[in-house]
Amino acid sequence: MNITNGFAFICPFKTNSGNKALEHLPVELAGFNAFKPLIITSRQLAGWRAISTLKNAFGDSGMTLGLFDDVTQTADLNVVEQIRDIFVKGQYDVIIALGGGIIVDVAKIVNLAVSQKVADACQLSPATAIRDPLGPLVVIPTFAVNGMETSKYAVLSGKTFTSVHLMPDLVVLDPRLTRAKDGKTVAEAGIAAFGRTLEAYIAPDKNPFMDAYAFTAMRFIRENLALAVKKRCNKKESLAVANAVAMSGCVISNTDQNVLHRLGQVFQNTVHVHPGVIIGMCLYPLLDDTMKKGNSLVSNLLLLLGGDDKYAAMPEAGRTGAALREVYGFTYEIYSMLKGKMPQTIREAGIPQYLMDDVLEVINQEPDGTYLRTVIDRVGGSTKA
Amino acid sequence: MILPDYYEFCCRVKIVAGHDALEKIPALLAEMGSKKPLIITDKGVAAAGLVDIVVNALKDGVTIGGIADNVPPDSDLKVVNQLAGLYRDNACDAIIAVGGGSVMDTAKGVNIVVSENATDLMAFSGAGALNRRLKTLVAIPTTAGTGSEVTLVAVIKDHEKHLKMAFTSYFLLPSVSILDSRMTMTMPPFITAMTGMDALSHAVEGYYCLQKNPLSDAHSLAAVNMIHHYLPTVTKNPADKDGRLAMAVSACLAGISFSNSMVGMVHNLGHATGSVCGVPHGICMAILLPYGLEYNMHKRGDTIGELLLPMAGEDVYLKTSKADRADKVVSLIRQMNQDLNEITGGRHARFFSEIKDRDGKPMVSREILPEIAKAALLDGATIYNPEDSDYEDNLLVLEAAWEGKPLDRNKIKKG
Repeated sequence: MNITNGFAFICPFKTNSGNKALEHLPVELAGFNAFKPLIITSRQLAGWRAISTLKNAFGDSGMTLGLFDDVTQTADLNVVEQIRDIFVKGQYDVIIALGGGIIVDVAKIVNLAVSQKVADACQLSPATAIRDPLGPLVVIPTFAVNGMETSKYAVLSGKTFTSVHLMPDLVVLDPRLTRAKDGKTVAEAGIAAFGRTLEAYIAPDKNPFMDAYAFTAMRFIRENLALAVKKRCNKKESLAVANAVAMSGCVISNTDQNVLHRLGQVFQNTVHVHPGVIIGMCLYPLLDDTMKKGNSLVSNLLLLLGGDDKYAAMPEAGRTGAALREVYGFTYEIYSMLKGKMPQTIREAGIPQYLMDDVLEVINQEPDGTYLRTVIDRVGGSTKA
Repeated sequence: MILPDYYEFCCRVKIVAGHDALEKIPALLAEMGSKKPLIITDKGVAAAGLVDIVVNALKDGVTIGGIADNVPPDSDLKVVNQLAGLYRDNACDAIIAVGGGSVMDTAKGVNIVVSENATDLMAFSGAGALNRRLKTLVAIPTTAGTGSEVTLVAVIKDHEKHLKMAFTSYFLLPSVSILDSRMTMTMPPFITAMTGMDALSHAVEGYYCLQKNPLSDAHSLAAVNMIHHYLPTVTKNPADKDGRLAMAVSACLAGISFSNSMVGMVHNLGHATGSVCGVPHGICMAILLPYGLEYNMHKRGDTIGELLLPMAGEDVYLKTSKADRADKVVSLIRQMNQDLNEITGGRHARFFSEIKDRDGKPMVSREILPEIAKAALLDGATIYNPEDSDYEDNLLVLEAAWEGKPLDRNKIKKG
């Protein structure tokens, strides 16, 4: 780790994780001077059970809850405007996003709209200046997440808003909501977080603060993802994975080393494939390239994934190889358990050629597009220009 | 890695570190919509030329709304109110605190008064009395130890009413902490040593105390690794820029760890020794740290043993059997105290009987230990210690730390 060139780091959100974490919400909201929350969620995506668990957690707190439970996968700025109107007219004072992915994207942009008091949310765009801190935002992820919920990014209709002010103030991880209902969904989220944090962890310019989050996230995934995928209703393991996913959003907001992340986003925005699927595929080509560059940090993965004793017992010369075997062994275990449900190539993912052309067009516009293409080529993406 | 049944973790402070981190302040202030900061510091920091370095780094980017260097060593309500007046008179919109714990406390107090338009600071004391964002506060620590640039607590004293007011709120966290190697370059070796050991005590206690969690652990491990590596070298070579920066960063990491996981017996007895005998906090921490580990060893042996890898590296870790790792950690910390004692020509005390005041008189007499043991019972830091301590245990530890002998662990009342 080289810190002599200087660095900056921020993680603006507080994490509350564990049993009855939801029940702490009234106190947490009062700490923000907020007493009338608007819950933004989706009956279809988060489920009614999660919604009622959250509502019940407010018990006799006396708080008035508002609910918008109609966010869909295709939500756009018109939906944001609709919710903004509800928020303003209902005089709500805090936003709670319940769920993952698009639900949180919408909530972040609603928060931007109501905090900056825009007259019409449809006027917002990624070019909108976001300077001051926004109003309080609470994110309560369920098990179906993409890892961007806690990040500085919000994606709506393929457009990415970016600002640290979009990050939540509080993330609540409650085992009743993070319990994985199907193996594939938890694997997608876990692998996305694993790839994103791994890339940051082996970056030469990483700083010790980001490193602490990446280290913790990867260890949690290494130790818990297989069990969470295998025994789907395993509360403790699912919660550990949810913790790691939340941390990965912080990591990705503090690093420029994000080849895997960007590839995942391109596919998600263009062809609606979960970023974890793409990140999982592209992990090996990326590690291969990193090794070829003589990156000595890869060997540290052995300590992280294999544990103290395995690391210490392996002579230095063998550590990089052993680290890669750890990564391969771990991901192989996950993929095997899913019995083909988690695709390992673009072809297996069933992305038709005409959509791949759209993907490649976006990739070509990236400054390192040529390199990104070489990664995609190695997982069976089209080489057609 | 253990996931607790329930945990909370929070450090919202933006960390900006580097050899030229100060120069980034104008842009950081602009991002937060602030243009005219009030600089709060103390006479010692100003006399060391540190405020000049800050002013030089700022002057082309912002209008400085005033420089107040009258923060006393012990925070004072009167000064807080006076500085809040200065802030308002000069139409400032941000605070830059340059200094150690008292400066940070004062700046946090001023921030409450100017943000809440408070006439009575007392109304905001305790936990949870603040519930909205305060003005921009930039913290520039000038020692690498306390971690107060990332803590959510402020203590202000009302000397007239003989009151000590404590404030706890996430809103007291500074907006930004600037870790710049130039701020600690002139710190004399014995202060470097004791403040560095203070940071180590935060990292180590944060790692084994009751409220530990995976994120505080990761911050502790990184801090322990860097402090063990850099503290002796930087004490020996005060001009080592990279070492200074590394110590500033590790003290910050340790500060984040302990303010989330809390501290235990080392701080408990250290606070008491400080208040009864006036011994500097860092010295108390350096002396008591090995004893706190020994005291808790029967409950936290494996956890303490995990610290051996970041401290000593894989060779030592591998050659030490699992059962011996915690003891090895203790002996390495004792060795650090021994090395720092030699590097500073004996000024870094290894045990209580060695501490002397400016006139060379011993500061902690053996006879006063019972009083310290008693005072420690009133300190809140004991709540998070793995083993429950009482008066006899406190005295047992203090006596061993006075003589410089390892703790007789058979005598600990194990709960």
